[in-house]
Amino acid sequence: MMALSLAWRLFKHEARRGELTIILLAIVLSVASVLSLSLFSERLQQALTDRSAEFIAADSQLRSRNPVDENWISEASKYNLNTAFQLSARSMVFAGDELALSDVKAVNEAYPLKGKVTLSDIPFGEGIDTDLSVPLGEVWADARLLQSLGVSVGDKVEVGEAEFLVSQILSEIPDAGFSVFNTDPVLLMNAKDIASTQITGPGSRANYKYYFTGEASDLDDYYDWLRPQLNREIHRWTSIADDDSPIGNSIARAEEFFLLASLLAIVLAAVSIAVAAQRFSQRHFDPVAIMKTLGATKSTVRTIYLIQICFITLLGIVVGAIIGYLIQQGVVVALQDRVEVALNTWYWRPLGIAVFTGVTCALLFSIYPLLQLFSVPPLRVLRKDISSTVSSKFLQFAFSGGAVFLLMWVYSGNLKISSILFAGGIVLVLSLLAMTHVLIAVGRKLGSGSMGAWTLAWARIRRRAMGNSVQLISFAITIMLLLVVLVMRNDLVKQWRDQLPEGTPNYFLANITETQKDGLVEHFANNNIQYEKFYPVARGRFVAINEEKLRTEITKEDEETANEGRQGLGREANLSWGTELQSGNVVIEGTWHDNWQEGEPIPLSIEEGVADRIGIDLGDELTFNIGSEVVKAQVTSVREVNWQTLQPNFFFVLHPKAMENFSATYITSFHLEQDRKNEIAPLMAPFASVTLFDVDARIDQLREIIDQVSMAVEFILILVLVAGSLVLIAQVQASMDERLQELAILRTLGLKGTSIRFSVINEFVIIGGVAGLMAAFANEFSLYLLQTNIFQMPFSLHFEYWAIAPTIGAIVVGLLGAFSCYRLLSLNTGHLLRKMV
Amino acid sequence: MSQASLMIETKDVIKRVSTNEGELQILQPISFNVKSGESVAIVGASGSGKSTLLGLLAGLDEVSSGDINLDGEPLHKMDEESRARLRGEKVGFIFQSFMLVQSLTALENIMLPAEIAGLPNPKKLAEKIIEQVGLEHRAHHFPNQLSGGEQQRVAIARAFITKPKILFADEPTGNLDSANSKKVEDLLFDLNKDSDTTLILVTHDNQLASKCDRQLRMSAGVLSEQTPHLKVVSGE
Repeated sequence: MMALSLAWRLFKHEARRGELTIILLAIVLSVASVLSLSLFSERLQQALTDRSAEFIAADSQLRSRNPVDENWISEASKYNLNTAFQLSARSMVFAGDELALSDVKAVNEAYPLKGKVTLSDIPFGEGIDTDLSVPLGEVWADARLLQSLGVSVGDKVEVGEAEFLVSQILSEIPDAGFSVFNTDPVLLMNAKDIASTQITGPGSRANYKYYFTGEASDLDDYYDWLRPQLNREIHRWTSIADDDSPIGNSIARAEEFFLLASLLAIVLAAVSIAVAAQRFSQRHFDPVAIMKTLGATKSTVRTIYLIQICFITLLGIVVGAIIGYLIQQGVVVALQDRVEVALNTWYWRPLGIAVFTGVTCALLFSIYPLLQLFSVPPLRVLRKDISSTVSSKFLQFAFSGGAVFLLMWVYSGNLKISSILFAGGIVLVLSLLAMTHVLIAVGRKLGSGSMGAWTLAWARIRRRAMGNSVQLISFAITIMLLLVVLVMRNDLVKQWRDQLPEGTPNYFLANITETQKDGLVEHFANNNIQYEKFYPVARGRFVAINEEKLRTEITKEDEETANEGRQGLGREANLSWGTELQSGNVVIEGTWHDNWQEGEPIPLSIEEGVADRIGIDLGDELTFNIGSEVVKAQVTSVREVNWQTLQPNFFFVLHPKAMENFSATYITSFHLEQDRKNEIAPLMAPFASVTLFDVDARIDQLREIIDQVSMAVEFILILVLVAGSLVLIAQVQASMDERLQELAILRTLGLKGTSIRFSVINEFVIIGGVAGLMAAFANEFSLYLLQTNIFQMPFSLHFEYWAIAPTIGAIVVGLLGAFSCYRLLSLNTGHLLRKMV
Repeated sequence: MSQASLMIETKDVIKRVSTNEGELQILQPISFNVKSGESVAIVGASGSGKSTLLGLLAGLDEVSSGDINLDGEPLHKMDEESRARLRGEKVGFIFQSFMLVQSLTALENIMLPAEIAGLPNPKKLAEKIIEQVGLEHRAHHFPNQLSGGEQQRVAIARAFITKPKILFADEPTGNLDSANSKKVEDLLFDLNKDSDTTLILVTHDNQLASKCDRQLRMSAGVLSEQTPHLKVVSGE
């Protein structure tokens, strides 16, 4: 009771007198930054995930080549999941004498669970969202299908054995995918009508998709239940997290960035709490010695200060949570027109993490300083030079490191990443420690000239930094963390923007015959259309590797051919040929086949992913069936392909020699400005047999998501910058305490305020510059690890920051030092001396 | 002299400290006794070992060898926790630099030993004693809002609140001007007399030392008696 009352009084008075400001600020900062970052990113991610879920029309999909057990679907409702169904099959659609191959999709009323089906009033016109389902007896047809069949809304078409009324022009379905290969125009019908068409009989190539939405945990539970019953040959469970598309990748990287930024914010907060806790402890050496002298036992002292730390932590958490929420809310409100954020949702996880961060940081980072505090002997009342009897850098690092590791693990939920980052951090700290000593040794020579402000500054640095390199390192780490976030943001945003440069093709053309090619080129030139390269394409069945037959019965020619093809054997594949290596492709093994000589085996280049999955090596002979012909080629190169670009890419590229007996069809793409969109139908009218694929909507969606993610990343950058600046302020404030005694003495001895001020500013300028330089080097090391291991991005050095970081470091730290110094020197000598007591 | 009337008994007390040059003996074997209610001044030059001896007698530090009994309790055999308990029950302190807790008010500083000792109504006790030192009007001020003299009066009040059997004062007037020194001296000796407390006073000030019943001189770690009528028990 006594301890509680005393702890409360100490807490109350110290808080009121501003003595707890720094440690409180550090905890408030940690909680506020973690809460605002996590809550914002959680809300944003939810919005992005919802948005992304639209691309698979659900949160998760079960794809199957056969209808699945009805019980599987009914079981889903027990897990509070919503379900929808789609059956798709390629089938001829007839209109009088005209016929066209179509991707017939029969969906139930619940489809789509996420996203919208869009309809347009005119062929290739702007799509308008609809919540309607396809009525029985009717179909909604893609403009391309209408174009091929020469029909319009109100006409009838035949699918299998049944006849349907075309009641709408289908613009888009949410899960259409990105592939432009062999994508047949979609015909949407009601699932109840599919039986009457009889197109799904034995031998048909129907595919079944079951859509699921619900809470992530419910989906996980359901999948856990379902997984043992799935057959990998037949079933495939996918969710947006498995999405390998440009959108999926952008979002995955954004999430990684948020995680990284939040982890760094936690580390920043941890550094500030460590600094503040050390200061708190040192300021309480005397009171502890007094209490012990007056009869307080160790356990009494321990209880008093642990309770006080609890009060501080509690207040810090409450204030931090309020501020964090307000910051986040303010930003969300400010950005709500530009960034789609799930505003109405409250998430407990960020609050939990923020509170956990506050408690863990406050307690674990305080343990060592508190152990020092508890060990202060009562004899200090007689001998001020006696301080703590606990002095173990190992203990200090063990507790601080343990806290950081625990937080990273809890926050990321990934032991491996946390371990890698932590191990990297230890290497970094040790390297910084070594660098600090080298730099100070160099500085000793520089500062050994005549006595002046610079010499005084170097002398102080040498004395203090040698004894406490931790301060310099903490400055360096703070600046480095800011640099990492800044550079990562720049690199990420640049990469995203590069993915969709201005003029990205928004229309793809397929099935262009050799005879149409020249005419199309001329037609585009006449109409001022910028088109891309023409790629020859042939459909081939991959049947053997080195004469070893492969399974070929699995064929699935849905809209996701590109992705599917990479995952299986014996599929039909799109073959291209040429001697020029496509942009965005890099040969990583073997040599590109532009120097083929007559008599050598026909060369083939394979994409690295498919080579890995199927187990194809350089020198293997691959056999394809193209039509009724057999083509054999030898693998002479393996390519790395950038799938992020929205350009056609191929798993297999042959030498043209292999295809000389085949007539090619071509694909190409072009960009048409938004204001010319209405010209598309007349533009393509002379080439009615060419398949037109409109990816404008997709590109807009992708661009929108990238813009949103970039905006969010900007916000996080600003927040981390603010957090980092506050940490720097806390560090400077803490170090000013240590300088107080010296300032008072110098002042008392009559040294001019200007001289003292200059020497202190110089000291901070040197520390900031050195820390900035160290941070720039450490930044490169961290970025290398992050970009190559986690973000899978190409790494390059950032030389500009080698100059920027020391300069900004010197200026910012110098200014902060100047401000703190100005505040102290504005006190009169008496007051200054009294502050020391 | 019966054992019961002795407040401090020391026998061959030695203090050694480790230095870079090896072990240094800063107190030569010291043996002396102090009776209950007696006031003893330890005088000597700076660095002579006065404060070291005070620290040992008060149980703030451990002897390297030798025995110290405080009010019959063997300090030399006690661990830090037991010594803390003993200090809380029987010892009061006054220091040159006042040693007040800066974040507690004058009244709260005075209450502190009573709270630690678990005495009932520490606030009432503090209010009573702060009146005795004439600082009731400054009860809710923090130490840095008080003058040096006022701070030392608060420290004296704090020292007496638990009615200690023995009071250790280390240069109690060392940081004060002469007017304040006089006030503090008078207060210290008055309260000491009223409460019949044993006083061990370390000082440079001969005038202050002369107010004590006995004076011991410390020189280079050797203690000698200054008052001829008492037995000298120091050094080899």
